[in-house]
Amino acid sequence: MRKNRYIHIVILSLLLALPAGVNSQEVPGPDENIPFLITFGRQGGETSWGDDDFSQTFFFTIPKDYKDPFYIRIYDADIGGKTDELNNFWNTRMVYSVYGGKGCYTDPDAKGINPTGNYKSGTLLATRTFGMDNKLDERWFTFGPFNPADGEYYPKFSSNVFKIICDGVSGDDGNLYRYALSRRPDANVPIEGANAFTYEYTFRMWNNNDTSFVSHIYPYIDSGCIYIRQRNFDWDNDGEFIVVSVERKGQAMPLSGEDQWVDDRMPILDAEIGKSLDFRFYKKRGDLVRNNNVVMSVENQYGENLQFFSAPIGGVPVYKPKITVRPKK
Amino acid sequence: MKRHITYTAVLFTVLLICSSGLYGQAKGSFEVYPVPAISSGSDDMAPVILSDGILFCSNRKVNPFLTKKNLEGVRLYELYFAPFDQNGNPGKPVRFGSNLGKDTNIGPASVSSDGKTLYFTRNYIVGRKVKKNESNKLGIFTATRNGSQLTDVRPFEYNDPASNLSYPYVSADNRYLFFCSDMPGSLGKYDIYMCENVDGKWTSPVNLGDKVNSADAEINPFLHSSGRLYFASDRPGGHGGLDIWYTTLAFGAWTKPVVLDDPINSEADDFAFYAVQGSLEGYFASNRRKYNDDIFRFATTIIRWSVCDTLRENNYCYEFIEENALKNDTIDVRFRWEWNFGDGTKADGVTAEHCYSGPGDYDVSLDIVNLITGGIEKRQASYELAIMDIEQPVIVSPDKIMAGENLVLNAGESNLPGMDIARYYWNFGDETVSSGLEVSKIYSLPGKYNIQLIVSSKAAAGGVVREVCVCKNIEVTPDGN
Repeated sequence: MRKNRYIHIVILSLLLALPAGVNSQEVPGPDENIPFLITFGRQGGETSWGDDDFSQTFFFTIPKDYKDPFYIRIYDADIGGKTDELNNFWNTRMVYSVYGGKGCYTDPDAKGINPTGNYKSGTLLATRTFGMDNKLDERWFTFGPFNPADGEYYPKFSSNVFKIICDGVSGDDGNLYRYALSRRPDANVPIEGANAFTYEYTFRMWNNNDTSFVSHIYPYIDSGCIYIRQRNFDWDNDGEFIVVSVERKGQAMPLSGEDQWVDDRMPILDAEIGKSLDFRFYKKRGDLVRNNNVVMSVENQYGENLQFFSAPIGGVPVYKPKITVRPKK
Repeated sequence: MKRHITYTAVLFTVLLICSSGLYGQAKGSFEVYPVPAISSGSDDMAPVILSDGILFCSNRKVNPFLTKKNLEGVRLYELYFAPFDQNGNPGKPVRFGSNLGKDTNIGPASVSSDGKTLYFTRNYIVGRKVKKNESNKLGIFTATRNGSQLTDVRPFEYNDPASNLSYPYVSADNRYLFFCSDMPGSLGKYDIYMCENVDGKWTSPVNLGDKVNSADAEINPFLHSSGRLYFASDRPGGHGGLDIWYTTLAFGAWTKPVVLDDPINSEADDFAFYAVQGSLEGYFASNRRKYNDDIFRFATTIIRWSVCDTLRENNYCYEFIEENALKNDTIDVRFRWEWNFGDGTKADGVTAEHCYSGPGDYDVSLDIVNLITGGIEKRQASYELAIMDIEQPVIVSPDKIMAGENLVLNAGESNLPGMDIARYYWNFGDETVSSGLEVSKIYSLPGKYNIQLIVSSKAAAGGVVREVCVCKNIEVTPDGN
């Protein structure tokens, strides 16, 4: 078992080290086709807007061989203006915090899906609080420079890991934003082999009732996975959720309703081990569900949360039909 | 009867030498050869093939100075055994069963399949002079064979001194005993009768009826593994004298007898046909050399393959399976699989079946339709399907016909690429043959026939001839049902 586990670590390291696309360090990633991440202010504790915990954590992996300074950039970091979701009047404040150092990733609370315990583990490298700020509306804000060595080195990824947490500390507006990992402070210049992932994805669906607007997220299926349990929140029954893999073509999964959690189990096929699944979300035709914000997480049979990588490990899984033709008896 | 001519040994020998070229050549479906080792200047007949040699009867001289005759001066028949040599040819004959009776005819005979029981013909009165006006007819007896010893001679339970019972033949499965008799109720001079072995006892003799028996004589019954009952008869319709005929028990009745062709039959007496079970080679007797009865060997010249492929039907129907989807067939999916079979037809499903109209190259592809968006993912997989006809000779004919109906068989659809065909040879399964691309055949007897089509190529470089065989069963019904 140890040997197998070691082999899998090596494979995952190689996969993570593969050259990623030009925009691969943007979150959401280009293969995900998700317009924005979203975090609401926690005032009033109203979850029916589509955020179950008013906090979102993402991790960035920087390949160990990358030694130059890098930056973490936030698009539309403020709360207010054209892109964010207004509730009565703009009163929300968001705190973005970047962590590195020991425990920033490996602390068990950091891998949770709820902002509890020591989820802010590690060394605080930078933090800033945002309210309404027209100067940042639909513009990029840059954290850094950071030294890659200030992250937590994680051998399985052969990478230094950094963590960024967005906490909606006050107010009740919805903060729509995106991240990017960059070699430059004034432009998004990707770092070869870097990636980003989260354990609980809270994002905005497209404001469109065209089913061609398909969003994806890509959980990675590690060795030893027998089945997964997906949990989704506040989907408002907006369309269809299917799972695609190299050997699974469009298995339908249940979607949640308004302010509701839904979960379902799905056995994992041998061919899916060591690859990513494609969770596809099709918007509903007909009546448009506007400003639909949703939450998704996945765990394995041990209750361990699985990562959603912005650049899917092993690439976007493509279903491969296998034809057999034989004479009829 | 031509058979009662006597000959001198010298004259016989001269003529045997002169006429030997007449035999050994193929005529019709058989080749016939003399068997000098067991032929004599006297009458030799009724061959019985045993595992280790030929048993026959002869009235030959015991030695140049001694001729066995009965008390009335008539030459007597006795049994002889000619053991096979290492090549399977009969060797020098020796007397067999000399203790079966003195001063009496012994033979013809038959032997049970285990070799332990001898059924033989013998006069009823043995060992004394027959009184004037006293009848001494032939009866059937059995003896137990133990090596070269024959003991425990017993009369057949249906013997009747007032009638002749002769020519016993016990079937290879020991179930039936055929014999010939002029007993009351007979239709002719000699009729064939049959008994069945039930719990170790022979049932009462049954006359085979007027299909088999005629107003003339029927003798020498022999039941072959093919189901044919061969016998000799001097009835009209033959080649002259005694001829060899056969009949078959079909649907509970004996069929109209068929006379064998030349060279088995001749204008002389031809009789005592005995073949190896499962084969068409054996021995028979004939006086075609005009002087006495001799034993001849025969072998079929008909080509029939012992192993011949059964005609296979070309299959243009296929199953198409999307294995990965089938593996997860129980899950609820939002896609539909759409097969394009490459001949302009389509079908939906994870699996599909399709029958093509004929051979060809077909580009099979699989589209997957997204049921949510209606979009079609074209050619997600493809398969080049090459359908070819089976490489084989092909027999085109009906599977069932009526007896007497003209059956046309055609080999024109044979698929033998690269073969420069020289001959289409047909074996109709009833020891008749023909050749040609299309042939006709009339079966007179109901039954099931296995037809072989043997196709030969022209000789290639080095004289190599390629041959292939295919067979097909034809059912011939009495009334077409």
